Amino acid sequence: MWAQEVLALSRRWLLMTLRERLNLLFSVLQPAVWLVFFAGSLGGAMDARVVGTTDYLAFAVPGIIAFTVVGNGVSAAMPLLFDKETGYLDKLMSMPIRRSSLIVSRFVFQMGMNSAQVLVILLVALVLGVRPATGLAGVLAILVTAALLTLAMTAAAMALACAVPSHGTFFAVTGFASLPLLFMSNAFVPLTAMPAWMQVVARANPLTYAIEAMRLLMLDGWSAGLPVAMGALVLASALLLVVGAWQFGRQTSERVA
Amino acid sequence: MGMIIDVERLSRRFGQSTAVDELTLTAGAGEVVGLLGPNGAGKTTTIRMLATLLPPSSGTARVCGFDVVRAAGDVRLRIGYVMQQVSPMGYYMLTGREKTEIEAALYHVPRKRVKARAAEVLELVGLSAHADRLVQAYSGGMQKRLELACGLLHRPELLILDEPTLGLDVQSRHHVWDHIRQLCQEGMTVLLATNYMDEADRLCDRLTIIDHGREVVSGTPAELKAAIGADSLDEVFLRHTGHALREEAA
Ligand SMILES: Nc1ncnc2c1ncn2[C@@H]1O[C@H](COP(=O)(O)OP(=O)(O)OP(=O)(O)O)[C@@H](O)[C@H]1O
Ligand SMILES: [Mg+2]
Repeated sequence: MWAQEVLALSRRWLLMTLRERLNLLFSVLQPAVWLVFFAGSLGGAMDARVVGTTDYLAFAVPGIIAFTVVGNGVSAAMPLLFDKETGYLDKLMSMPIRRSSLIVSRFVFQMGMNSAQVLVILLVALVLGVRPATGLAGVLAILVTAALLTLAMTAAAMALACAVPSHGTFFAVTGFASLPLLFMSNAFVPLTAMPAWMQVVARANPLTYAIEAMRLLMLDGWSAGLPVAMGALVLASALLLVVGAWQFGRQTSERVA
Repeated sequence: MGMIIDVERLSRRFGQSTAVDELTLTAGAGEVVGLLGPNGAGKTTTIRMLATLLPPSSGTARVCGFDVVRAAGDVRLRIGYVMQQVSPMGYYMLTGREKTEIEAALYHVPRKRVKARAAEVLELVGLSAHADRLVQAYSGGMQKRLELACGLLHRPELLILDEPTLGLDVQSRHHVWDHIRQLCQEGMTVLLATNYMDEADRLCDRLTIIDHGREVVSGTPAELKAAIGADSLDEVFLRHTGHALREEAA
């Protein structure tokens, strides 16, 4: 029965997304455009000794994946935000469904969408001549990493959606936070190229660990740093999941739980 | 025979103000009970407590014998709730059929029956011909009828209707009334909150008028009219609740 709820809600998310064709098109195109942009302009300006590789595009792919996942995190929370405002959340809450189905269906849907987008990014990268050092198994590992990051970002965005009074505040906060979140990570430059204080901030940023893991998979192969980065990412995701669940609980306990 | 609705001295406060004040209300199986009152009287707040969306501040409310707080899950299985406000943005980009099928699944209609049951309720409210259009393109009346259809998916024992004909034309209102009557003949119990006295007069077996969250008077429409020698429920309503606009008083 729980599966039936998650499936039904996922169907709702999927239909809503698929019907907005233009939105869908741009979501898929955006990371590809970024890739080309990075390959063309920034790549030439980067010092191979700083970046640690002559292949800046391969270096940038994990950053672009992280960028995409952060952007999608914002849209992941939108239905919850609007259900809250239209009152449809009340209708859902009056139904005999588990509270967690709403959240879980969102995670399931978002992981599916993001995986598809990651595959598109890797495909475009392949066309541009970038091939993961770890091969096909590495692609799978990258998908798993992106899924973990999706979990973390979706949970954070949903927690925020529950906490804010209206969507205006939500977009103000996410608009303010998205870019610093990216630039205070190793998305586009390695940590070693940052001033010391920024390194400290970046070390506390879950993005850094997801990017580090994906970058090792892209450039270095199955290296010893991988489990460490993944471990940190799992920890951060778990933490954000707890915060998300707590905020959702608060949102729904004004109603009867 | 147990009561379908059994509300005893139910109160709900929001900060300093009391939206529902020691309200007592009952409904037996198959009855249509009306909840009347001026804007802000506490109709929707009462309904939200019965629909397990809002915890009461004090008092008890039971639906089909289940406490709305302690056995919220059992209550949810047995109620259909048609909300006062329907925003089509809630199912943006979905067709009537898709919305109905999704809600059928959420009400745990057996997987193999979902499509058939959705088609059934759409047929019941006369929306079969429009089932595959986007809900946001429906007229207000069609949207209300769709909501009604979705409230029936799991054959609830209690149907809670919060102003089901708000903003509808005469044809649509009669249409909705016919459905409600038919459902009652099949034994469903209905709690109807409305601001339309003619609607209450036509449909309700009993009604309770509330004001400022408190019960003012209860009885059958005939009793209430006879008690003050009035011809219409409008007269009864104004006699008991006065002519002053509510928002000014508050
Ligand atoms: N969430 C809330 N927070 C604070 N006050 C509330 C809340 N919900 C309702 N109220 C107040 O409770 C009172 C009763 O409101 P309610 O919506 O139950 O009235 P109603 O009888 O349904 O009115 P209407 O006919 O306009 O729909 C009002 O004074 C309203 O302002
Ligand atoms: Mg109301």
